Amino acid sequence: MSTRHILLGLLAGGPSHGYDLKRRHDERFPQARPLAYGQVYTTLQRLVRDGLAEVDGTDSDGGPERTLYRSTDDGERELAQWTGEITPPAPFVTNEIFAKVVCAILASTDPADYLRAQRAAHMDRMRELTTVKTAQGADLATVLSADYALSHLDADLRWMTTTAARLTTLTAEVDAA
Amino acid sequence: MSNQVPLLAARGLAKRHGRTKALRGASIELGAGEILAVTGASGSGKSTLLHCLAGIVRPDEGSVVYAEQRLDQLPEKRLSELRRTEFGVVFQFGQLIPELTALDNVALPLLLAGVRRGKAHERAGEWLERFGVRGQEALRPGEMSGGQAQRVSMARALVTGPKVVFADEPTGALDSLAGEQVMTALVHTARESGTAVLLITHDAQVAAYADREVWLRDGVVSEDATALEVAQ
Amino acid sequence: MIKDLRLAWLLTRGSDRREWWRVMLTAVGAALATGFGFAAIAVASVRGQVSTPYLHGLLNQPGQRAGVVVALLLLWVPVLGFLGQCARIGAVHRDRRLAGLRLAGATPKQVRRIASLESGLACLLGSAVAAVFSALLLVSAWQRPPLLVWGGFAVVALTVPLLAVLVSVVALRRVVASPLGWVRRVRPGHGRAATLALVVPAVLVGLAALLIVMRNTGPGATAFPLLVFSAVVLTGAGSVAVAGITARTIGRRLAARTENPAVLLAAERLQADPWATARTNAAVLLVAVVGVGFMGVRQIFLDGVHHPREGLPHSPEDVAFYTTGVNLAGAAVLVALMISLGGLAVGTAESLATRRRGLAAQAAAGVPQEVLGRALLLETALPLAPAMVLAGIGGTAVYIAYGLMTEVTIPLLLPLLVPVAVYVSCLLAAATSLPLLRRTVRPAELRYT
Repeated sequence: MSTRHILLGLLAGGPSHGYDLKRRHDERFPQARPLAYGQVYTTLQRLVRDGLAEVDGTDSDGGPERTLYRSTDDGERELAQWTGEITPPAPFVTNEIFAKVVCAILASTDPADYLRAQRAAHMDRMRELTTVKTAQGADLATVLSADYALSHLDADLRWMTTTAARLTTLTAEVDAA
Repeated sequence: MSNQVPLLAARGLAKRHGRTKALRGASIELGAGEILAVTGASGSGKSTLLHCLAGIVRPDEGSVVYAEQRLDQLPEKRLSELRRTEFGVVFQFGQLIPELTALDNVALPLLLAGVRRGKAHERAGEWLERFGVRGQEALRPGEMSGGQAQRVSMARALVTGPKVVFADEPTGALDSLAGEQVMTALVHTARESGTAVLLITHDAQVAAYADREVWLRDGVVSEDATALEVAQ
Repeated sequence: MIKDLRLAWLLTRGSDRREWWRVMLTAVGAALATGFGFAAIAVASVRGQVSTPYLHGLLNQPGQRAGVVVALLLLWVPVLGFLGQCARIGAVHRDRRLAGLRLAGATPKQVRRIASLESGLACLLGSAVAAVFSALLLVSAWQRPPLLVWGGFAVVALTVPLLAVLVSVVALRRVVASPLGWVRRVRPGHGRAATLALVVPAVLVGLAALLIVMRNTGPGATAFPLLVFSAVVLTGAGSVAVAGITARTIGRRLAARTENPAVLLAAERLQADPWATARTNAAVLLVAVVGVGFMGVRQIFLDGVHHPREGLPHSPEDVAFYTTGVNLAGAAVLVALMISLGGLAVGTAESLATRRRGLAAQAAAGVPQEVLGRALLLETALPLAPAMVLAGIGGTAVYIAYGLMTEVTIPLLLPLLVPVAVYVSCLLAAATSLPLLRRTVRPAELRYT
């Protein structure tokens, strides 16, 4: 996930300062990990260094002085290229759950208990997300981001169910290797 | 939940269909206003459990208690009345009468209860509105999309103000968007009216609409995910 | 051919109970048709004046024998109606099965052949059983029947199954042409082919009967039989049309204003498929027209036999002769009525069986069985009433015409009871499906799609 491209995207709407960018990010992408202010600040500096953004001036608005940033022509080109680029579909499978199952077998413990607890945790999270998206007045961005997470959790769950049913075979295979 | 008397409670249900045992000692409780999901693999006895709990089928063994009445001992006439007035059922498809309009389909339970046609239509119209199918009153089930038909079915199940709605794979025949709309409408109205819902599904995303989930495996209900026990 | 036969057998063996019902009832219908055909041929083959010990000498005169032949031929009409109803049993299921066969790669020709084999074999079975018994009866009653009779027997025994094959090929043409549409859909067709298959042979049989009567009565007396035939055919067709049209109108009117859920269910079903009931009731209505006319004519005729206005009273033998003749005709009408009622009962049962999943869902949702049962009876009762009135009027016209010709007092009460009796027996026939309804609404039906 490229924070610099997301910030470029947010800047495409017009000049903004760091705190405003963080707030808009968290609003636009509910359920995503919230951006840390420090991360916004360092990313903006890097964008300026690479000529993708520039300082637009300062704005005090009665409070402390804040630096306004805006996107450059290079920045707009970079953003256009990024949004059109295909995201590589799962180039490396990083599956922590699977790693834990295999390691449990290697350590001669039964991974079934772990899978059971994991499944319950997944289900709890799915209920939480469903409550969020079915709340009265939930906006579409919230519903869609919850749906994205729900589909992934559901995929995990299905994978866990079939794995649990085939643990014996897996144990034999891992032990034999 | 545990310190209250449940609205619906079943103990040790057993039921066989010919040589196969669909249920072997299933126990389950449903609290007033609770939304409970029953999940399990195909053939685990989910539908049979629902049929026993809703008084559609008599279990071979065990008891079903609803509001201090033993459903497994009530005469069929009384059961039919109970299903008409205090329960609502939603199946995957097939509960709408193909010849009746959406409005008449929803009004039918009220007509059966002796409500005048005009009044019944008025209330049926309100329920169609709640499920977002206003304007489809004159359509017959064959002229509706699957999602519309299922929302009409839910309006029909809820129109009498039941205490429990039994839903058997209500989104089974729908695409994910239609399924989501149907489930959202069901959960909203159930919460608003304090109706308990027993939801049968094999889809975790549908089960996530419930307050609680139980698993059914080989005809037995379990509270935690023992459904994950190794199958041999 | 052998391969197709084996496949047809495999498919039929694996299919459910209703398919067996169709095979059995079709065989029964074929047996009836063959039996009536054989009897007609046997009677028709007798030449000139003979002396038989049967039926008070009714078969002795060529003229009266012609009447018996006509009656036997006319019995084919209700039998055809019955066969038409039987063909619909499990039709949806069979059509799906054949469409599935087509999708699995069978050529249209193969599918047609397999379907024809199924219905043809069922009819052949019925014909064969009827043929064996008829032949035994014939040999025991008639020492040396002429070769012509055996030839006629063979023709009838083969015609009946052949007719069934033709009808099934016509009925299946849509399934064969576009199998996909049929695998998916559960909607039964309009049955226009089935209706045609009933109407065309019925008209042919009627014409044949008319020819026989005209040939035997001489040129002077043809007017009356002609009148009777046209009256019966016209009112019969009219009644069927009335049943269909009123079904739609009654359905719409009642559906709009009724407060009763059973009436609402029946009315909406009538509106959705008004011709279904008309088709089911067609044979019954035709029999009702004949029945009313016959009862009137019978009373006028017997009145004349018992109290001749001029000359001496008839001898007891003559009275017995005439009474037997009339009663035999009455028995034929009664048999026709029974067969038509059988068709009606089969039609009602089939309508239930087709809808069994929906009905089970209704019962599960708490719709009382009494309501479903009442709706079922109302579906038959509502459109039948006006059609029966018309049938009564038609039949009355027939016997009043006869009464005017013979210039006697015209009875009113007894013939007019006939439509009422037929109406009631129709309801009873429909009511035979109520136990089936009770079994149909079992929740087990909810499990299958």
